[in-house]
Amino acid sequence: MKFEIPNYFLADLGPEAEFTENMITEAVLTLRSNRERYLAVRDTGSLIRIISQTADNWLEEDYPFREITLEKGPQATGFSRETIRTGLEHFFEGLNGDSLEDLLQQELGHLKRLDAPCAARNENGKVAMATGPEMITHITAGNIPIPTMVSMVLSLLLRSTQFVKCPVGSSFIPRMFAHSLYDTDSKIGSCIEIAEWKRGNDVLEDTLFKHSECVTATGSDEALDAIQHRLPAKTRFLGYGHQVSFGYVTKEAVSGYKAKRLIRDAADDVVAWNQLGCLSPHIFYVEDDSSNWALMFAQKLAEELEKREANDPRGDIPKEAAADIASRRAMYEVRAAHMPDSSRQWCSDGSTAWTVIYETDTLFQLSCLNRFIYVKSTPNLDEVLKGAEMVRDHVSTIGIAAAEDEKEEIASRLARWGATRICPIGRMQKPPLTWRHDGRPLLSDMVRWTDWEQ
Amino acid sequence: MSDLCPFDQFAERMSTDIRSGKQWNDEEFWRHALELFQLQFNAIEPLASVARSRGVEPQQLDDWTRIPALPAAMFKEFELTVLSPERRTNVFLSSGTTEQTRSRHFHCAESMRLYETSLRSWFDHNVSRPDFSFFSLTPSAEAAPNSSLAHMFECVGRDQGTRFLGCVDEEGNWEVDFDHTLDVLKSATSPILLMGTAFSFVHLLDHMKRERIEIRLPSESRVMETGGYKGRSRVVPKFELYRKIRVRLDVMEDDILCEYGMSELSSQAYDTGRGTNAENDEARLFRFPPWAHAKVISPETGSEVANGEIGLLRIFDLANVYSVMAIQTEDLAVRHGDEFELIGRMPQSEPRGCSLMTIDES
Repeated sequence: MKFEIPNYFLADLGPEAEFTENMITEAVLTLRSNRERYLAVRDTGSLIRIISQTADNWLEEDYPFREITLEKGPQATGFSRETIRTGLEHFFEGLNGDSLEDLLQQELGHLKRLDAPCAARNENGKVAMATGPEMITHITAGNIPIPTMVSMVLSLLLRSTQFVKCPVGSSFIPRMFAHSLYDTDSKIGSCIEIAEWKRGNDVLEDTLFKHSECVTATGSDEALDAIQHRLPAKTRFLGYGHQVSFGYVTKEAVSGYKAKRLIRDAADDVVAWNQLGCLSPHIFYVEDDSSNWALMFAQKLAEELEKREANDPRGDIPKEAAADIASRRAMYEVRAAHMPDSSRQWCSDGSTAWTVIYETDTLFQLSCLNRFIYVKSTPNLDEVLKGAEMVRDHVSTIGIAAAEDEKEEIASRLARWGATRICPIGRMQKPPLTWRHDGRPLLSDMVRWTDWEQ
Repeated sequence: MSDLCPFDQFAERMSTDIRSGKQWNDEEFWRHALELFQLQFNAIEPLASVARSRGVEPQQLDDWTRIPALPAAMFKEFELTVLSPERRTNVFLSSGTTEQTRSRHFHCAESMRLYETSLRSWFDHNVSRPDFSFFSLTPSAEAAPNSSLAHMFECVGRDQGTRFLGCVDEEGNWEVDFDHTLDVLKSATSPILLMGTAFSFVHLLDHMKRERIEIRLPSESRVMETGGYKGRSRVVPKFELYRKIRVRLDVMEDDILCEYGMSELSSQAYDTGRGTNAENDEARLFRFPPWAHAKVISPETGSEVANGEIGLLRIFDLANVYSVMAIQTEDLAVRHGDEFELIGRMPQSEPRGCSLMTIDES
């Protein structure tokens, strides 16, 4: 029997559906009433069970929501089946009882602090309880689905009912996740709403804002600023702005016995969600002397990306994005032909599927993404940080590959410089559930604390 | 004889052919293009480097698709010219602020002559009428000596004298003197051609709206707008801009023309053709003169797209004798036979981060 997706959410109505202020108000009132009846009364243990059970289901090959996501996902999202599969498997493998408990422990000091006042071991016996907002609105970015799904999980843990607003054409995977939660526990599923509409529908968004104790949003600094100014004063706002990421490879790592593995890891970072997430690298800086390590790294990475394309193709991208890549390539073709010592280029034949640009200029350069990666040679880390100074306030993740005895010093320098996440190359687009988004707390920014002095 | 002789000879031939109203058939056009490419290959090192890296041998080339087109942006990085510094008389810069690196297109007396012959000829064919008076919302060529647009507006009205209504402010921005402009427009009694950039029209029309002013330009007057916005005003969709022009200046849409040109070229296209687009709406189709061809190139495959498909515009301009004849633009267009529907400058030709794929584009 063919599996049909039921109509539980506004996003199930399709991209053509138009909403009115009344419809949104009605949806919000239903959400809030469902929360009172079904979600507010749950304890942390039961929510962890529901979430981890759902994640386990997603890891089963014949789970209907997984099957339908992989089948329809490429058409709906533009990502290839393999890209979606790899991205989702990593996410759901990391979403389990242990990671959820670690998250609560890290954020609230005690697993049960959302259930009852209790004392954390490292707070000198202080008794406190955390209460989540009754309703959270998420204004999501839609470039990749994982951050949206993380937001959904966090809201559930907080017992907050939630309205997930996605940009047009980007709700598919979060919507399937919402359905899967509904499948595990329909009452919990009824405390989630998900919809998509075009930017600039202030009437609908203001309706949501009016009813939300907390709003999270991802987007440009200007877009976040605009949202924040529209919020009622008492509404808590968490904005996640422009972020870029890059990798740094030391000479020790690129010349060492693990170099082959390093190339595969670097390719993983480029291929993951087609580089569209804020944690994806724009550049790999490769430490170099006169031995051309960076050039070799670039060439090997190009070979690896070509192999990946065979098994894990990038898929079609919008014409504008393809034109962007073609234009960038055309410029680098001239540079590479005219100044081959300082610039080289490798690209997929007859398509824009992947591109590697090698440059000796260490100035930070934004990639046009969709598997378009810069490899820049650098004499040392100082030059990298100088080159990346222009994006210093917007750096999220720095992936590093270095010898064991180099890592600590590099990590300390990068942390002082401003990086909010440092991880091995190969894991840039695979943050753990406990990753502090943009260096900020995940749950404790959203809860209201009650300290109980006895 | 100087080394430049072959270029002068080519330019002289082009001027003669253009003036005589010669119609190039495809075969002739590409023969000329290959000949010019061979000349330029020998004189412009970055062009030769690209050709060599692609294994293109100019002497044996017989296929236009293999002529390397250099990105227009490369005019910012290299001096793409066959002219020695002493021979250069003019340089046209792409628009932009003084802090930005701008394209430089060098000209000499001979190339200016050919440039003016080319632009006058196609302008007269598409836009001009014998009884027009010419008005421009841009600064004069004297005030903006590096603007190919100001130069063009000066050139097309040279016989009668173009009246320039714009000026350059202290920061180098172009401004329209609203009061003076409105006085001049109101007092016109015979048909005029009002020329300007899209953003200068937006500034003027916004001012007229604020002041609740409507003017009836003399009947048979025309408006010619050109260029993008480049952050100098809010971006107004074309149909909206034309509606405002109709309301505020009483010029019908058929008398509003759009010019497509760039400082890196020596020929321009006008949207005098009509077709239907994918939504079955009427589309305005641009056409270059017979001595320039536009090809719409697939960004994926690098080949020409099929009719009705979208791609990047590549221009082959035989009047670009002293620089580079084949230019790859960053403009998206839909192919309609030999004509094209302009979709516009790619939104992200400047580098961007993941943020641009976030809620901004929802």
